[in-house]
Amino acid sequence: MPRKSTNAGWGCRASIPRDRQPAQPRGRDPSPKSPAAVPPKRPVLSVSARKIKDNAADWHNLMMKWETLNNNGFTTANKIVNLKIGTQFKDNKLEIECDNIASDCGKLSPNYNEELEMFCAKLLETLENMAKIQQKMEKLCSTTKGICDLETYHYENGDCRTPLFHTWPTTYFYEVSFKLTEMYKKEIRLKQTIVQEIAHTADQDLMMVYLSSWLYQPYIESSSKLLLESMLLETGHRQV
Amino acid sequence: MSESSAILVLHQSLRKCFQAIQQQQEAWQTALTGCKPLLSSLSNLAEQMQACQKVTFAHTPLQAFPDLEEQLKYKQRCAAETLLEELGGKVADLQKVRDVVSGYVGTVFQLYEQHADVLGFEASVQRTALIPSLADMLEWLHDIERYYRHVYLESKLLLLQIRYDNLPDMQTLPQSWEKVLEHNSRNMVQDTLLKVSFLETL
Repeated sequence: MPRKSTNAGWGCRASIPRDRQPAQPRGRDPSPKSPAAVPPKRPVLSVSARKIKDNAADWHNLMMKWETLNNNGFTTANKIVNLKIGTQFKDNKLEIECDNIASDCGKLSPNYNEELEMFCAKLLETLENMAKIQQKMEKLCSTTKGICDLETYHYENGDCRTPLFHTWPTTYFYEVSFKLTEMYKKEIRLKQTIVQEIAHTADQDLMMVYLSSWLYQPYIESSSKLLLESMLLETGHRQV
Repeated sequence: MSESSAILVLHQSLRKCFQAIQQQQEAWQTALTGCKPLLSSLSNLAEQMQACQKVTFAHTPLQAFPDLEEQLKYKQRCAAETLLEELGGKVADLQKVRDVVSGYVGTVFQLYEQHADVLGFEASVQRTALIPSLADMLEWLHDIERYYRHVYLESKLLLLQIRYDNLPDMQTLPQSWEKVLEHNSRNMVQDTLLKVSFLETL
């Protein structure tokens, strides 16, 4: 059975706290109509910048939680597959025995059904938690979209837009959030299919494919880490 | 230089060499131990890759994900590459030990050759219950050096023979690794180090 490979590098990271800076007092804002027009590296961030920064921290924390759940889910899925393979093995043995003593067939009632059900319920629970995370990611994405829309509204008169942090225009944050959200959306759909099917197949190769797909998360591209890290760098959560 | 001082010089040099081997042996052991889980992961991965080849995705509930097969294979390949890279690092560690030990052993032999005339045959093979002869110790050094060289080369060869188009072979990597270790007596270095522990008292 595929065991967890040695390349999982997410679990050990500490979560990033959200920004605790107070919102900028309105009265002191030099340009109250344009909260986004804050010079870079300003100690007190604008409301939009703070929201974006919090979102970046949330992205990091959600992705980390996802990884933990993915590992837990993998362990459970692995148990399901092992149980099923073990049962198949028993069945095969039983068939041979049945040739001699037919009456013994009915006697074997392994409690694997209960165990299987328990593991399936556990996997389902993990999946539900992952789905919740995915929904939160969608919300983050829509919040970022909202910030972009707000900025567009403020700058309708064609003023020059200053980046909220260092170099990224606000729309970049939305693009990154959107890309990430799409990856996780596809991945959760795949995981839903795996959870539905994993206990209902007798094909060992297919079980292996399910497990491998669960573990390696084919729809979460390698670029996701880069996207996240660049977002953390831009918002100042990570130092250069 | 008198015979006794030549022996003393050689004993000192041998002590330094065996001390270095003791230290290098730890690094060697760490690298060897590190290889095992990586090879085992690689073997698991090969099993998964083979399962992917056997399954016709379009005939399974995964048909709703037309690009899954390609994406999954890509991810598996990436994971395998990472493991191979880590393994390469371990083999490089083995190479380092081999090189360091060869260096020390070379120095001892050079020193022996310099003093060979003074020592003569008798003194080289003379041994007591406590102290092995110089010839014995030099032979052990050769054995140790050969052991490091063999295991390093065999590990390197094993790594070079890994092919993605030969998945069944990749699955037997842990067994092949065990064979590499079995071919070369594992405790030889430790045993030799015990035999020369008298050098510490000199």
